[in-house]
Amino acid sequence: MVRVLSVFLLASILHGGVYQTNCVACHKTLPVSIDKYFYRYLLKYSSEKDVKAAMYHYLQNPSKKKSVMAEAFISRFGVKQKSKLTNKQLQKALNVYWNRYKVFGRLR
Amino acid sequence: MLVSKSLDTDLARSEKQTLYRIATLYLLLSIIIIFGFSFMYYTAQKELMLQEKKAELQQDSKDFLLKLKQLHINFDKTQVYPRSKAYESAIFDSDKKLIFATIPTQLSLHKILYLQDAMIHLVSIPESYYLGAKYVIIQVKDNALWYERTKKELLLFNLLAFSVMFVIGYVLLRLFLKPMRDAIHLLDRFIKDTTHELNTPVSTIVNNIEMIDKTKLDAKTLKKINRIDIGAKTISNIYQDLTYLTLGNKIVVNDEKIDLGELLQERVDYFKSLANAKKVFMEVKIVTNTSLFIDRAKLSKLVDNLISNAIKYNKINGYIHIILNKNEIIFEDSGIGIAQENIVKMQERYTRFNNVSGGFGLGLSIVSSIAQEYKLKIKIESEEFAWTKVSLQW
Repeated sequence: MVRVLSVFLLASILHGGVYQTNCVACHKTLPVSIDKYFYRYLLKYSSEKDVKAAMYHYLQNPSKKKSVMAEAFISRFGVKQKSKLTNKQLQKALNVYWNRYKVFGRLR
Repeated sequence: MLVSKSLDTDLARSEKQTLYRIATLYLLLSIIIIFGFSFMYYTAQKELMLQEKKAELQQDSKDFLLKLKQLHINFDKTQVYPRSKAYESAIFDSDKKLIFATIPTQLSLHKILYLQDAMIHLVSIPESYYLGAKYVIIQVKDNALWYERTKKELLLFNLLAFSVMFVIGYVLLRLFLKPMRDAIHLLDRFIKDTTHELNTPVSTIVNNIEMIDKTKLDAKTLKKINRIDIGAKTISNIYQDLTYLTLGNKIVVNDEKIDLGELLQERVDYFKSLANAKKVFMEVKIVTNTSLFIDRAKLSKLVDNLISNAIKYNKINGYIHIILNKNEIIFEDSGIGIAQENIVKMQERYTRFNNVSGGFGLGLSIVSSIAQEYKLKIKIESEEFAWTKVSLQW
């Protein structure tokens, strides 16, 4: 039982780890907090499947056209560089991101 | 000379059945049409009410979206779903997955504006999906005033339409019946006129034959007189049938206790010459003599018709056995018989199944009518080309 719990905890840390190390670390330096991007995606793509797909495609191959951010924001901060994460790592990071900021179950 | 025009038109069972079928079909079609119109009117009224409510719901939806937008912007600070006393709401993502709702029931996203469980729903798709909401449902209560009004209007319309359809149906049915009625009237009138004209000559022939002293006649003349007697009795029987039919309802009934054995013997004697002419052996077998409380003329008519038929449709050298039991009289003959499928139709007026002998097809109709009047049961059994057995039971 203790072994199962340890493995579960480690997996959670590892999942959160990809997101923390590769996403949060960089976004901390930007003036716009990471949750604001999430809600811009939600505003445009609505469902979990569509939001994750749009984020994935953007991170795989970022472009001004694919970005959900305002023109002024892109002019000032530019388009981010292509992600170096593997597909699996990217999916894991996106899952953590979705679970952290999703609306489902949070409304009262 | 023409007789009274007040005739009772008799429609045969098959004709009545056809009429009932047409009337039922007409009624069903009328109901379908009326209900079809009612349904269309109800749907139109519902649609009208929904369209009238649409503007109000759109305003509510706008108000809700403004609140949702505010919540979307400030979602890191507050997660309280916007509510209103004026309406209930629900939001769904683009996969039609429910995000949040203040409505407990199952909702449909297939229609834009609809009525469900006495609630009006408006489904709208905002330009921006605040909090991921692609579909926003606004729900308000239906006060059902339109429903009550429509119900009253439909009730009135249905009553009016049904009355109109009924009148049209009745007129159509009368028009449809007219040729048939005319044909039956013509036949009845012809029979009445003929009957009336037959009365005097038939009575004269029968009376005069009865007055002839047959013992003084030579064999050749007696044979001729017998033939005239048979012919006169046949005409007399037809005359009595027609009189019964045309004046059936106006004959004064005089019910009395009748000795059946005596009456049967009397009628057999009457038809003896007719039977002899065809070499038909006729006998009355009284097992148990009994009596009935009945009109003598009517019972005689009933028995006469059965004996007359048994002679008419018999073979040369055939037989007729009339058996009187406690609760029945059986007329058994060695005649041509009746096909099974024709037995039911036999008691209808003007029904004849062969042309072996002349006749109007009235005999069994009269038998049936008298039997019905006195609650006597007629049972007919037969084998075609072999025999017929008619039982009169009480």
